[in-house]
Amino acid sequence: MQGVAVPVSLVAGNSIIHRLNPIAKLAWVVVVLVIAFMTRNPLFLLALAVVGLVLVTAAGIWRSFSRVMLILLPIGTSLIVFQAVAPAFPRPWTPITTFGPFTIYQEGIYSGLSLLSRAVSMTVFALVMIMTTHPSDLFTSLKRLRVPYVLNFMLAMTLQLIPVLQREIGVVMSAQKSRGMKSTGFGAVLPSFVPVFAGAIERVQQLSISLESRAFGSSGIKTSYRQVSVRPFDWLIGAMAVAFLIACIAIFLTNNFLDMSRTLVIPAELSLILVGLSALGFVGFVGSAIWLIVRA
Amino acid sequence: MTATATGPSGGPTIPRADAVFTGGPAMPRQGAVEVEHLTHVYPSGKVLALEDVSVSIGHGEIVGVVGQNGSGKTTFSKHLNGLLKPTSGRVVVNGIDTAGKRVQELAAHVGYVFQNPNHQLFATTVQADLAFGPQNLGLPEDEVQARVERAIEFFGLQHVRELHPYRISFPMRKLVGIAGIYTMQPAIFVLDEPTTGQDHVTTQVINTLIRRLRDEGATVVCVSHDMPLLADVVDRLLVMWNAHLIADASPREVFSNTEVMARTKLEPPQVTSISMQLGRRPALSVDDLATDLESNLTSVGVA
Repeated sequence: MQGVAVPVSLVAGNSIIHRLNPIAKLAWVVVVLVIAFMTRNPLFLLALAVVGLVLVTAAGIWRSFSRVMLILLPIGTSLIVFQAVAPAFPRPWTPITTFGPFTIYQEGIYSGLSLLSRAVSMTVFALVMIMTTHPSDLFTSLKRLRVPYVLNFMLAMTLQLIPVLQREIGVVMSAQKSRGMKSTGFGAVLPSFVPVFAGAIERVQQLSISLESRAFGSSGIKTSYRQVSVRPFDWLIGAMAVAFLIACIAIFLTNNFLDMSRTLVIPAELSLILVGLSALGFVGFVGSAIWLIVRA
Repeated sequence: MTATATGPSGGPTIPRADAVFTGGPAMPRQGAVEVEHLTHVYPSGKVLALEDVSVSIGHGEIVGVVGQNGSGKTTFSKHLNGLLKPTSGRVVVNGIDTAGKRVQELAAHVGYVFQNPNHQLFATTVQADLAFGPQNLGLPEDEVQARVERAIEFFGLQHVRELHPYRISFPMRKLVGIAGIYTMQPAIFVLDEPTTGQDHVTTQVINTLIRRLRDEGATVVCVSHDMPLLADVVDRLLVMWNAHLIADASPREVFSNTEVMARTKLEPPQVTSISMQLGRRPALSVDDLATDLESNLTSVGVA
């Protein structure tokens, strides 16, 4: 029963991050997204992620946040391992050392770290926004920015449906366990996800009927019972996001996008430790997945 | 138990309930379910959902669990098959302490029928879905088939056995949901709101099925708001109020206890209210009231 669902939804709180206007937070998410795709410099991207972690601390959402970030573990470890031996990078590659039968390349380590730090930095900022913003507040704020009502509604509903589906998965897993289902891995997919998706489709059908019956799509000014104020501080944070983006673009354009793929020398020992630990984590994850399948 | 814990609805700390109302003299019971000083506090928000609940349910008994929303009914019932573990206290089902057992291990002993059948149906045909439980128990295929056939006959599912569960009506799905547990032949059935959203005919079918389950030797724990059903079918009612068990007595005794009814804001079945207003013993069904009135008329020489 416990620990089935990962809570990717609002974590109630009253921190400074919680109180910040949703648009200011969204601005930072978009800025980080743009920056993360403009540079491949892992140090810069990791620094961004660290800033994000400071925000996580300020928001007091570490518990829920870390559970979600665990999902990145197999992705991150596989990125390092596969990129190290087969870089997604133009040749020539510079060999650093060997790891069993495999050669580890400098560009591979660089590329793996780039992809990982890019994913982490974007995810951290996105989670800070999702976990500290009430979906209705985001809805109301986007409406002020004249985002089309239907698009706005779709975004808000998607965010609101995540916790609903998580609860549903928990209930369905309990129901199937009560029927003796021993699988917890892939063996549990069919008995658990058919009811969840069938229920989701049914819910969406009912929702669409309910919306139409309450005049969804009619013209006129839409109001909201939740009022979101924009304080000078919110403007400041939003402006800082824009300023940061402009500054980063300027730095990138004048410094070859901080590309260090050919200049950053990664010591062989450090590479081995990094790849070894990643391989261990990845094999551990794959092994436990296989064990769960076999046990099912 | 926990001084800082709040009530189920997040309200202030709940005062201890008075002694449990047990009606007449207690009958010696051979425990299918033994609950001793069960307390449960949900970790998120430290919500006290059950406090010091003790109850014994005998083999072959039909027991109803009633109370307002948030009183602890579902939390109590989820302890019976190990979906929840006691914060303190002990739950023993069919001689097995649930504390160290997984839900899957207890499934052979306690069958839990969820309120919404859609939460458990997934196979492409009704009969394949019925086979899911016994297959999980590791039974040989011929035994699985025998149980599926028995369940189809018991629940009258012959005409839908080849159909997809999502293509049959909701009341029929409810029956398939119960049948999916029946094929596992547990000693104890826990039914969560079995008649919610059901028409009168299906409610009567479920009423009959509960009796037949008992006739086959099963113990049935029925969590419900359906007072006429409970009045008609259960031997005992457990009344929950603000995380406490405040009454454990026959339906007749519970319905006639004005203090319990007032505190829990439960309404007895209409026929029970009418019989009490007539100054008769609390009737549990129209037939019961008719019989009582008939005997009264006979005794005064009118009939």
